[in-house]
This record gives sequence, C-alpha cells and structure tokens, in this order.
Amino acid sequence: MLIVAPSPPADPQALLRSRLAGFPGFLRANGYGVGGGDSALVLEAAQRVGVIDPQVLRWSLKALLCGRSDEWRRFDALFDAYFLPPNRKAFVEGFSPMPEAARGRAEGEHETVPGQPGVEGGADDGEDARHGASREESLASTDFSQLDRGEHIRDIEALMRRFARRLRHLRLRREARSARGLRLDLRGTIRRSVSTGGTPLRLSWRERRRVRPRLVLLLDVSRSMSQYSFFFLRLARALSAELADVHSFIFHTRITAVGGALRDPDARRSHERLHLLAEGWAGGTRIGECLREFNRGTAPRLVHSRTAVIVVSDGYDTGEPEVLGDALAALRRRARRLVWLNPLLGQPGFTPESRGMQAALPHLDLLAPGRDLAGLERALPRVIEALR
Amino acid sequence: MSGALQRMAEVDGLRSRLHEAGYVADRDLAAAILLMLDLGRPLLLEGDAGVGKTEVAKALGATQGAKLIRLQCYEGLDAHSAMYEWNYQRQLLAIKMLENDGRSVAQKEQDIFSERYLLKRPLLEAISGEKAPVLLIDEVDRADEAFEAYLLELLSDFQMSIPELGTVRAVSRPMVVVTSNGTRELSDALRRRCLYQYIEYPSFEKELAIVELKAPRAAGELARQLVAFVQEVRRMELRKKPGVAETLDWAAALLRLGISTIDDGGAERILETLSALVKTREDRAGFTREVVARIAAGC
Repeated sequence: MLIVAPSPPADPQALLRSRLAGFPGFLRANGYGVGGGDSALVLEAAQRVGVIDPQVLRWSLKALLCGRSDEWRRFDALFDAYFLPPNRKAFVEGFSPMPEAARGRAEGEHETVPGQPGVEGGADDGEDARHGASREESLASTDFSQLDRGEHIRDIEALMRRFARRLRHLRLRREARSARGLRLDLRGTIRRSVSTGGTPLRLSWRERRRVRPRLVLLLDVSRSMSQYSFFFLRLARALSAELADVHSFIFHTRITAVGGALRDPDARRSHERLHLLAEGWAGGTRIGECLREFNRGTAPRLVHSRTAVIVVSDGYDTGEPEVLGDALAALRRRARRLVWLNPLLGQPGFTPESRGMQAALPHLDLLAPGRDLAGLERALPRVIEALR
Repeated sequence: MSGALQRMAEVDGLRSRLHEAGYVADRDLAAAILLMLDLGRPLLLEGDAGVGKTEVAKALGATQGAKLIRLQCYEGLDAHSAMYEWNYQRQLLAIKMLENDGRSVAQKEQDIFSERYLLKRPLLEAISGEKAPVLLIDEVDRADEAFEAYLLELLSDFQMSIPELGTVRAVSRPMVVVTSNGTRELSDALRRRCLYQYIEYPSFEKELAIVELKAPRAAGELARQLVAFVQEVRRMELRKKPGVAETLDWAAALLRLGISTIDDGGAERILETLSALVKTREDRAGFTREVVARIAAGC
C-alpha cells in the first residue's frame, strides 16, 4: 500500500504520493470532517483521474473530501494553498498549532495576521482556527473560557442535566406499533393471525408515539450580554451533548451557527472555535437584522412545525424595532413555539421597556428571566410548559 | 498516475451525454459523477430548492440506460414503507384458502410470507434488479435520524434483512444519488459515506444554455433577456428565489402570451406572467410596475 514516508524521498512519484496522502490531514487541520481512511481514497482517486490536469484532480478531490456546503466553498482556496507552491509556504507556516503558547498571548488584541496571500477569502475559518486564541477582538469581555471554570461547573452541569432530562420527556406525536391504540396495524394483525388459521383473533394496533421537538437556540453574545453569554453557551453545549436535535447560533452584529464548535469534544478547541466565530464583530447589536438573516438563510431549512426557538438576549437592539418585530413574527409563523429568555428580567425594578423588547413582546409565546442559575431554575417549568 | 487527458475527455464526454439527456452540467459535477461510478459511492447533492438536484439523477439514469427508482423522503417515513410491504389482501385470501389444507402452521406461514406476497418498495426494488438502476433518495433531510441510520446501513452493505424471508443481497449495486435541502443537518456518517456536490444557482451562461436546451422556442434574444431578468430577480431579497424550473415555466408563460421581447414598455404584460416566477405573497408585493420596468430596462 502507499504509505507516506517520514522524510520525502527523492523519487517524484513517491513525493507526489506523500503529498497527496497528506492532503486529508491538511483539510482536517482546517476543520474538515475527513477521516483516517481518506488518504488511501485520495490516492485511489488520483490514480483513476490522473494528476497532470489539476482541474480534474481538484473536482474529484472536492467531491471526495467535502461533506458540507461551507467545506465546499472553502475547498478551492485550500486546494490551491496546498498544491500550488507559492501560497503553500505561507499557509503551512501558520500551521503548527501551539494552543498553549497562543493562549498565553491573549493580550495581543488587535494583532492582525500578515502574510496569507491569496487564501484569506475562502479559508479564513481554517486559518483562524490556529490563530483564534491569540486574537480577542470585540468579545474580549465575553469570556468563553469561563465555560470550563471549575467553581460553577458542577452546579451548572447539574442544572443542565435536569433541564435536558425534562426536555427528553417533551415529545410530539408520531405513530408506532403498540399493544393498544387507535388504528389497526395490518402488518402485525396478519402476522398474528397465522397461528389461528387466518382468523384475526388478536388484533395489533398502531399508536401515536411521541417525538421530541427540535430546539433552536439563538444566543446574543453582544457586549451588554457578556456576563451571561458564557452561561448560555454552556447551556447550549450541555443541551447539544444531551439531546440529538439541538441547533445553536450566536449573534451580535451577524448570526453564526456554532453547533459544530459546541459539539467539539475537545473543550479547548471548542473555545477557540467559538472565539473565532465571534471575533471581529464590532458595532451595536442588531437583533432584528440578525433574526432576519436567520429567517432568510437558515430558518427555511431548520425551523419546522415541531421546532421550538429559544432566543436569549437582553433586547438592546441598535437596529429598527420594526425589523425585529417583523423578523420575530416571521419566525413565529414557522416555528412551533417562540420563547425569549431575558437575563435582565430577573433584576429588581426592571421592566422590558426597551424598544426592542416592546416590538418583540406581541410575538412571543413566553418571556422568561434567565439571569442566573436560580432564576433559570425557576423559569424552567414555564419554559417547558411553553414548549409542550 | 497518468490519464488526466483521457479523464478530461471522459468528463467532457459525460457532459455532452448529460446534455443530450436534457441536463446542463458543470464540469466539476461531471467529474464527480465519474468518480461516483468509479468508486461505487453514493453522491450527495446539496443546494437551494430549484437548482436542479433531482434532475441530475434523471439525466444520469438516461445516460447510463438505467432505470430510475425514486424514494421521496418525508417526515415520518419509516424503514418499512421505504423497503417492502406485505400484500395483506392476498395474504388474507391465501390464509382462507389454506384453511382446510392439511399442512402445519409453520408451512402455511412459510407460504404466505414468501416472495409472491411481497410488495417491493423503492429500496428493495433498487437492490433486487438485474441491471444496476439509479436510486434517487430525494430530500433525505426530511426523513428522521432513525431512517437515515438505516439508510446508512443499506448504503454500506447493499443488503437488507426481511425477518420473514431472510437477508436480501444486492444483485447489482445501484448508483445512488442523495439530495438534501438542508431541512435538517445530516449526520457526519452519511456525509462521509457519500461524495459531495454543492449546486449553486446557475450562472447566466449556464442558465441560458438550459433555457435554449429546454425551451428552444424561446431561443435567441428573448432567452437572453429572460435569463438576465431572472438573474436580476435572484439578486433581490426574496423569501423564495426562483429556481431553474421557475425560469422555464416563466419562459413558457411568456411564449404563451406571445411576448417576444422584454423591455420596460411591456411591464404590464410581464407582471401578468410573474406568478410563474415569484411564488409567495410577500415577494409578489415587492414587484410593482416600476420595479419590473426597471429590471426589464436593464435586460
């Protein structure tokens, strides 16, 4: 079999093979979900399509190694960076991941990373994945690293588990076979009737089984929310781990899916990915526009009639309140339930009078406080009731 | 590792065969299809609704001379209805007829659960044909995770087990095309198993080629104008962007009304046909006479 030699041999064929075999690893380092067996597949594909024409090789490897649309869009730049010599160097230099060292340099706030010619546009995710920890821009105060700080963890974990357990009981209806029910199950009845000579003495039924709703979390990570966002990200992560159909997004001036980052089993890498997802956003929170963007891009595919959408935000919106109202109305039409958790709501003397909240209120199934553990604990039964 | 030139020729060959079958394919899609045939892997197609994902499978079937078997996924689809069903009516009749037969219950059971009473659903049909068909698993994201897991098993082994009959192995491996609109995030396992292709809305040139192929009566200046119009409409902020099928519908509508040129003067008549292109009330409200005239003037 073709194996990558530790030091590249002089033979051009072998060199080429080791180059090809290393490509999946390069993609993996850039956040692609490629597996261990892919090197062999790349070699097989290259064998079949040939390597003289880079276009055919590109198209073939693209089909082979991409698995989702963002990987698809970034592929060409990464392919060029890896296989075309001039860019490769710059790209590979930044490629030695040193998370420990990078974490120590967190003060290098507005440091830019020079010398990534030609690949920025398509490949920033991957590139940032290696520099993410060293650059904390707008979210310096939103300390994602607290996600794993020792002291609160146990309490939070316990609450999350409780929450997730109770959500597990939350189900919508689907059909399945059962001992009694409303509709006759012909397949089962026939099966049973065989032993009585075809007379269906014992009937079999279909009953409505319950199916858990899909949860979509939209988390505000703007500066005004910085004290709380770590907590809700933690919640999102616990829910993603406990339940199958949870989809998390963070928003501020833009909205981004963070499901992949939250599910990352490596806690440190998870932070880094969250950092880079949120970094570089400046300006006020535009809740309405973010939700509108969500409605336009993601919601048609994600939010359906058994989806519960939970928005976590303080409602301080620098955009037009009408935009927020319209976006929420549209979202509410699509979703089964729309719940808003507002951390400020628990504060004494606070009433949801911001223009954003006023615009939002008519469209919500529930507005609940979510300031701290205790507050959320109290709000929990109502949230679950609303989602039912 | 040679043969790149042959491969490029193969890519172009497949493209022209797809074109004959009524599908305008980019070269990267053709390359992916060739690789799919080489490696025997399923091809996962993603992209917005209306970019022609389903058409790929149909055209592929035509170029390979293979039968197209389509499994339309929907919420609540279970493995049974996708695989097979027993023909209950016939079974009941048979049971009645066998009543006074002296055979044992086990024998009777074996008889009524034989292949004669089996109704093949798409998945079983796809693996039991002599000649490899094209199996189109359409909108797999609409089915739930449990079904997806089952599908994964089928796609890796190409065999399925029917408790009453035993294991059915594929006689020939179907060419599998899976499409997804992204209603639900697909599992990584399924993604890894498949080759992947993301299909964008067609460029002006590609869409023009599609219109010329599918609506030859519109060819010429009208085709160019109407494609330019649709491309401009797609750039607008709409809830539902028109797909290729909408373009073709619209072309048909224009021809039907005898409209042979698109200009700002004919905005009224264009408005009458716009329901073929813009399909939600909110989006429709954005198309006033002025807007249509402005877009038409630019075409």
